[in-house]
Amino acid sequence: MARLLAFDDVHQAFGDEDVLRGISVGMDRTDVEVVIGPSGSGKSTLLRCVNRLTEFDAGDIRLDGESVTAMDVDALRRRVGMVFQGFNLFAHRTARGNVTLGLTEVRDIPRGEARRIADENLARVGLSAQADSYPAELSGGQKQRVGIARALAMEPELLLFDEPTSALDPELIGEVLEVMRGLAEEGMTMLVVSHEMGFARSVADTVTFLDDGVVAERGPPEQLFEHPERDRTREFLGELDT
Amino acid sequence: MTDREGRGVDIGDLPGARRLVLVAVGVLFWGWLLARWLHDWVLAPDVTGAAAGALEWLAGGVEFAAFTAASMPALAAGAWITVYLTVLSILLGLVIAVPLAVARIYGGPVLRWIALSYTELIRGTPLLAQLFVLYFGLPTTRYIRDIPGVGEGVVPYAAIWVAVIGFTINSSAYQAEYIRSALQSVDPGQLVAARSVGLSRLEGIRYVVLPQGLRYAIPGWTNELVYLVKYSSLAAFITVPELFRAARNIGSDTFRVLDIYLVAALFYLSLVLTLSVAMRRFEAAVAIPGVGSASERE
Amino acid sequence: MDILPLQAGDWAFVGTNWWILMQGLYVTVLLTVGSLLLGFLAGFPGGAIEVYGRGPLRSVVRGVGVLLRGTPIVVLIVLFFFGVPWPDIGAVPLGGLLPLPAFEINGQALLASTAALGLRSAAYQSQVFRGAIRSIDEGQLEAARSVGLSKLEAVRHVVVPQALRRSIPGFQNEFTIVLKDTSIAFAVGLAELLTRGFELFTQPAGQTAVVEIILTVSAIYFVLTFLTNRTLDRVENRFAIPTGESS
Ligand SMILES: Nc1ncnc2c1ncn2[C@@H]1O[C@H](COP(=O)(O)OP(=O)(O)OP(=O)(O)O)[C@@H](O)[C@H]1O
Ligand SMILES: [Mg+2]
Repeated sequence: MARLLAFDDVHQAFGDEDVLRGISVGMDRTDVEVVIGPSGSGKSTLLRCVNRLTEFDAGDIRLDGESVTAMDVDALRRRVGMVFQGFNLFAHRTARGNVTLGLTEVRDIPRGEARRIADENLARVGLSAQADSYPAELSGGQKQRVGIARALAMEPELLLFDEPTSALDPELIGEVLEVMRGLAEEGMTMLVVSHEMGFARSVADTVTFLDDGVVAERGPPEQLFEHPERDRTREFLGELDT
Repeated sequence: MTDREGRGVDIGDLPGARRLVLVAVGVLFWGWLLARWLHDWVLAPDVTGAAAGALEWLAGGVEFAAFTAASMPALAAGAWITVYLTVLSILLGLVIAVPLAVARIYGGPVLRWIALSYTELIRGTPLLAQLFVLYFGLPTTRYIRDIPGVGEGVVPYAAIWVAVIGFTINSSAYQAEYIRSALQSVDPGQLVAARSVGLSRLEGIRYVVLPQGLRYAIPGWTNELVYLVKYSSLAAFITVPELFRAARNIGSDTFRVLDIYLVAALFYLSLVLTLSVAMRRFEAAVAIPGVGSASERE
Repeated sequence: MDILPLQAGDWAFVGTNWWILMQGLYVTVLLTVGSLLLGFLAGFPGGAIEVYGRGPLRSVVRGVGVLLRGTPIVVLIVLFFFGVPWPDIGAVPLGGLLPLPAFEINGQALLASTAALGLRSAAYQSQVFRGAIRSIDEGQLEAARSVGLSKLEAVRHVVVPQALRRSIPGFQNEFTIVLKDTSIAFAVGLAELLTRGFELFTQPAGQTAVVEIILTVSAIYFVLTFLTNRTLDRVENRFAIPTGESS
């Protein structure tokens, strides 16, 4: 059976800057993969290539064996959810409204049913009480949980997280990681860019260290964190600790 | 942020303005020259068919150019009045607007109320109605005519002064609003700091708040200048022979109303576009690093 | 002729001729509403094209916008009046329905004024909308795209509703400008409020009542501006997106 997600020698350049220089990794259903790496190393670009917010230059990415470039882009995005660093909630819609938009417009679910699904997913992230609040009335942690519920409601096969907690105050990070941990336990496949070491250690199956557009090292968390093979990895982990 | 007080936004640039202007000048020159030559040949009568149609069309263009050229002196005279009407009014308006704006922010309740009523009343009624009050309603013209020197030599005659008064009053209200919102965007801590080095309140406003705030006001002020150039055309209705009235007079003499108004439109466009380019330069020239350039504040 | 403003007899003259001013007001309102509507219908797509459009279409929209914004409205009105072959709809009967004596106005002057004021307003409204669209952060569009909405759907459901709300202050400003500038239809003799006032004070009986007439006319404009602005303030508050701060 094909892997759920497979990168095959993916290249991407912006102007004359090579941001991804031959990425080949893969993950299976229920895998949780955490990507770490210095700023500008191409982590966001890597995620955005998967749902084609960035159209990559060369190589291939396959979702369940099918090349993403061959798929209808809207259909692809319906199957791959994304959670953003800056939340990107729709400011004019309530928490519930943020979740229902994709349901009614993309999945063509009738309004009443969409509301029910939205409330279910808001409950899943612990926000039943905030369903009628507007984004501006929510805390950062609550906003990000709405962002997660919005992605979940589409019943994606794969969830992408781009530094979901790095815009949050320290005391709000925990509640978001808790929700993500729960999803992992339920068997959600997740590709997560994050520098939350505790989370990576306890939840990830694999950690990938991306450096300057290439996979510099990859392995189970305990190996990568405790016994990195490369000096560059050790150096980077050292910087993270300080 | 100035939306609510403003008179509408910047008119903007023609796409690729600089190149376009060069091209336009070139096309005008060569078009005119070629057409002129063709026109001379058309006078040789035996041209037929489609060629004649095209030539006739070209000849029409030449005719229009000739008409434009003939009306140039009159329009130029009108444009001169338009320019000094605008410049005088905006400067006099500024002199009134600064104290008005300061009164609205820093004044006591009575001063504030007076300043507010003045700006709201002026901004809530049409400029043309204001000109009518001054010209037809009040004996303004008579008083001005009695001032020695008016209408003699280079000093314009009474109606023009009535227009200047009208535009000054009108413009002062709008300028006061622009300046007010600009002053309010200056950090209040600045005034506190000025007071703490021993400046009086008025000195603090004069030496610290105004120099910063007036820079913020430049984009609004540019709008106002452009606005005034365009609306100075309303002086035509109180007999001032500025650009629009000059065009109207030519139109009723020659019956070529549409042609002359098109030429007038081009005149105004040239004035307005030149002004906005010049003002952008000016803005860049007086900018101080860190004291927000206007274009960033949008 | 001695001008002593504000005499009782002159106010009485205004009083006996109030219906003439009301007929003018009728035309003014008609012209304002028509122009704003035309301005909105043309200006909203115009703004969208300036943001999302490509190539020649966008250049044309921007170029026409600059021409309309750079030309005095009085010149635009006369150009539209003399330059466009309006169908001769003759005199347009108005009034009668309201407790107002029926009257007629010049149809071509009405069409030309509405077109000039409306298209000029479109040029300004497009800038308001352009700014409002630009002020909505890219991220929301991206989020909409990543739940699978097409670009058009994303713009329609995410950008347009927010941009419209953010345009209200600019629209308010535009309303005030259009209302006051309807008075410039005076140039083509359209019988709107100010023109009617002018006709009143240039007739022999009205010559001492100039100030009273223009003050009355101005007061009507002022009240209209004031009331509509308050109403639009309400609309804005009514549709405001909660900001989390109590206001
Ligand atoms: N749309 C774009 N256009 C041009 N350059 C881009 C674009 N997106 C990303 N880049 C460049 O690609 C490089 C990698 O960007 P990317 O956002 O993938 O890095 P990152 O690893 O996510 O960094 P960070 O930790 O700061 O988020 C950067 O140098 C960035 O400037
Ligand atoms: Mg990133």
